Amino acid sequence: MTAGRRLLWFALALVVAQVLVTVFAGVIAPYDPVGQDILARMKGPSAAHWLGTDQFGRDVLSRIIHGSRTSLLVSAAAVLAALVAGGTLGLVAAFYRGWTDRLVMRAMDVLFAFPVMLLAIGVVAVLGPRTETAAIAIAVVYTPIFARLLRGPALVVCESDYVTGARAAGAGDGRIIFLHVLPNLASVVLVQTSLLLSAAILVEASLSFLGLGTQPPTPSLGLMLADGRNFLMLAPWPAVFAGLAILLLAFGLNLLGDALRDTLDPRLRGQP
Amino acid sequence: MARISFRALLMAGALALAPVAVGSVAAQAQVLEVAVDASPVGLDPHRATAFSTFQIISGTIYEGLVAVDKDLRVKPGLAESWTVSPDGKTYTFKLRAGMTFHDGSKVEAADVVSTFNRVLSKDIASPLASRLAVLEKAEAADPLTLVLTLKEPSAPLLISAGTIAIVPRSMEAEKEALQRAPIGTGPFKFKEWQPNGFVLLEKNAAYWRSGAPKLDGVKFNIVPESATRQVGLSSGQYSMLPNIDAATALQVKGKPGVKLDETLELAYSFVGVNTSRPPFDNVKVRQAVNYALNRQEIIAAALFGAGVPGGPLSPALKDWALPVADFACYKHDPAKAQALLKEAGFTAPVAITINVLPRQDIRDMAQVVQAQLNKAGFKVELKNQELGQFIQDWRNSNFDMFASTNAGSPDPDDYFFRTFRTGGSTNVFKYSDTKLDGLLDSARAMQSQPERKKAYDEAQRILACDGPIMHVAYGQLFTGLRANVTGFEIIANRSLSSLGDVAVVK
Amino acid sequence: MLRRLLLARLLDLAVVLASVSVIVFAMIRLIPGDAVAIMLGANTEVTPDKIAALRAQIGLDQPISVQYLGWISKVLHGDLGTSLWTGKPVLDEIVLHLWPTLQLTVLALVVGAGLAVPAGCVMARLRGGVADAAMRVATVAGLTIPSFWLGIVMILLLAMLAPSLQLLGYVPFWQDPLGCLSRLALPAFALGLPILANLSRLVRSAMLDALGQDYIRTARAKGVPERGIVYRHALRNALIPFVTSVGIMTGYLLGGAIVVEQVFAIPGLGRLILGAIAERNYPLLQATILLVTMGFVVVNFVVDLLYLAIDPRVRA
Repeated sequence: MTAGRRLLWFALALVVAQVLVTVFAGVIAPYDPVGQDILARMKGPSAAHWLGTDQFGRDVLSRIIHGSRTSLLVSAAAVLAALVAGGTLGLVAAFYRGWTDRLVMRAMDVLFAFPVMLLAIGVVAVLGPRTETAAIAIAVVYTPIFARLLRGPALVVCESDYVTGARAAGAGDGRIIFLHVLPNLASVVLVQTSLLLSAAILVEASLSFLGLGTQPPTPSLGLMLADGRNFLMLAPWPAVFAGLAILLLAFGLNLLGDALRDTLDPRLRGQP
Repeated sequence: MARISFRALLMAGALALAPVAVGSVAAQAQVLEVAVDASPVGLDPHRATAFSTFQIISGTIYEGLVAVDKDLRVKPGLAESWTVSPDGKTYTFKLRAGMTFHDGSKVEAADVVSTFNRVLSKDIASPLASRLAVLEKAEAADPLTLVLTLKEPSAPLLISAGTIAIVPRSMEAEKEALQRAPIGTGPFKFKEWQPNGFVLLEKNAAYWRSGAPKLDGVKFNIVPESATRQVGLSSGQYSMLPNIDAATALQVKGKPGVKLDETLELAYSFVGVNTSRPPFDNVKVRQAVNYALNRQEIIAAALFGAGVPGGPLSPALKDWALPVADFACYKHDPAKAQALLKEAGFTAPVAITINVLPRQDIRDMAQVVQAQLNKAGFKVELKNQELGQFIQDWRNSNFDMFASTNAGSPDPDDYFFRTFRTGGSTNVFKYSDTKLDGLLDSARAMQSQPERKKAYDEAQRILACDGPIMHVAYGQLFTGLRANVTGFEIIANRSLSSLGDVAVVK
Repeated sequence: MLRRLLLARLLDLAVVLASVSVIVFAMIRLIPGDAVAIMLGANTEVTPDKIAALRAQIGLDQPISVQYLGWISKVLHGDLGTSLWTGKPVLDEIVLHLWPTLQLTVLALVVGAGLAVPAGCVMARLRGGVADAAMRVATVAGLTIPSFWLGIVMILLLAMLAPSLQLLGYVPFWQDPLGCLSRLALPAFALGLPILANLSRLVRSAMLDALGQDYIRTARAKGVPERGIVYRHALRNALIPFVTSVGIMTGYLLGGAIVVEQVFAIPGLGRLILGAIAERNYPLLQATILLVTMGFVVVNFVVDLLYLAIDPRVRA
């Protein structure tokens, strides 16, 4: 096994482990993430509380496990929505060409023109700060990325003999798009989804950190970081470990995307 | 040597480019570097509602006829003396001679009259207007004599009207000017405000009290991040963190070169309920909340142990407050709470929503209150709101329950009347109790202290368990200082008026 | 040919800018409920008169198309409106807050790009399976480290290790250049680390490419000192992907700056934007988002042109 391969497996294992932990959060987390125990407040890491407790005596590890779940769910929902919306738009643009193409892609250009955080903050300002809003904001921001990403390769596939043949055989538009065009784009989609998931984790954490995402007492990594910094000199662990958890989530997904790109598309090897 | 001259050159260049820049003044100028957490929202003393504004302007830029000392007792301010007529309806103030405003104009009785007109004007829409509701008329008998005639006797007049900031008469109809360029009489005058950056005050050399101010200026740096403020105090970058909570105080305590001043706060944290809709229209449910709360635990959690449970009046008001032992419902008893809910005809869990003021200690308190109420037959949902939304819902009485904090006032009338009297200006709880109304009305007209005390004792007993506010705790208030800062006195109402006497020892 | 291309790009730019203005304009109207009442929310006394007055002031009493045209014509004449609370022209406030952000982002870019060259060169020397994987893990970690968390950790370390160093806060550069740079050092590093990670990979792969070229091998065989040639060639190779990523990095830097400013108490655009949201100062928010986005679009446009100038192949 080459080093690159090994890295891919490592990244995959890391991501799968994180997903499993969050899926079974209720079983794995040693304590109730919102259960308070004032007497055991702000205690350092110990055998009972591996990562210590926060200012309410809540178990930091349990909150990180549940908070990771919130982060992953929001990011996954947002990226999935962006993939469906942006992907559809990109494919439609590539398939029909002409005015449809021009109209769709100009619209995407406009959304793409906004800096990511700024557009996300704008969306939250309009919809109000909530967990779902953060997901919507991220989805809006990533839609044009998927549209652009899929349109290019889709154009090439649509031109291929393969699709021309299918069309000649009388296949419908939808059938061609889903059965013939889409599968050919799987590798690009896989790589980008993984990379954008990683970025979405960071955007979600930033929004929550600024108070524009998930609201307390629901555990959220960005929020734990924001709350924990008020007690930084007394009890640094909630803030430090919550940040590490964000890093670990984003890291695993980014490494996975990186390794996938190398494996699936050797031409891009070494590029960032 | 070459390096020094290069820096000098840079300095000269900087001065030429930015003539208003102040950071580069001579090193001997003593500017006290203060770090505060929030930007002021305008600097007009009659329009501001934000604490971040008052902290910067009151007692520093602006002064009233009277001032409040560190024991919250009235002392002379711009007025050196005053007399009250036997019927309690005429107040005659004697102003000090030779005082000037920061714009150079003289301070005369006519300025006080136009200040009061300004506060009462519809256009300015000052939140202080209710303090002057009892005023019949204000007249300048001569340039230094002010006569206030009241509609009815009002014991708290000195504190409520007397502390209103006096501004020059030229400002009477000016709506916006003071928001950005305040003009007062205080020991410091306004120099520069860089939004989100700092507010800089400089010494008022013409200040009426000789020997003050000692500093050449005060710079309020706006530093929202708590850790950054703390590190700044430890490193000596900032010399003062005023009015900090226990969590922050604990984190700077014992750092070399840092000292802490503390006092029991006048402000209190509380949960308030809407008595115009179920379930809190039922007095038993309100009592149940009181029994469900474990105030000691809340203090331990949200205030880091630095605070005391209190009733409707702050224990800091030693002349007025009843001890909490007098209030039966202050005993933590979840079973009793459940029983009361049952008596009131509710089956647990009773679902309620708490609107939460967006401030760290209040958010913390709300989370503990939520956990405690959930154990006593309620099912609480927390609604963490933005400040604008919170205030809007508060004003429109659009809440089941809300968690917040209140500044408190040195005289019980000021707080009780507007908050609990039927139709009071901040009675957003829609609370109405005929017996209490009678007590408050009669106490207002009383002149004798023991008589007033008796009435307010009765009022406290009614309000503690049956009222719309469950008073939770009065926190310990801290100010963090560098050890070389002298002359500062912490005041329970959070005023920084003693800055005029502060000096920095080299 | 080049002129036509330039013209087409300019047309695209105009269309994008116009659409951006429509979206930003629409934002304030999309706020559920009565935006004006919400805007006034933080004031104590809200009367129907006040609501009507503000409504007229912002022009909400007119048809939407009229509102937009009125607003955009004012914007084109340089009038972005006035801040709701201070009554100051919005533009003044934006300019005031622009400088700290600009200083921070430029410094972060300098830190990131400056350190990327030596880092990339060092990484190019380490070749082979394990080193390659380690390099990748390190750069991915650098890329995904949350800058605000890094900032908090740095503050914590500062407080523990060097409590007497005054490295926080902000002073304008023209008042105290040294103080300004020393106070921006920590936030600039926190913000610049992902850029460093990104660029050092670019530099590394460009170096590896260059080392594999025939003429380098020839030069080496001839005994010519290879270092100079390799560096010059490799760095030029790295320039193209570098320029392309500048556009992306500007967006990243801006988003990152918003959060990092909050942590390090820097009175920049991020604080302005968050403050405007908190106090419901929508005219200010609208104008800030519009201006910042336009700046971003123009930067991307310039990057496109640079790309064109550097790499003739793109013109085809």
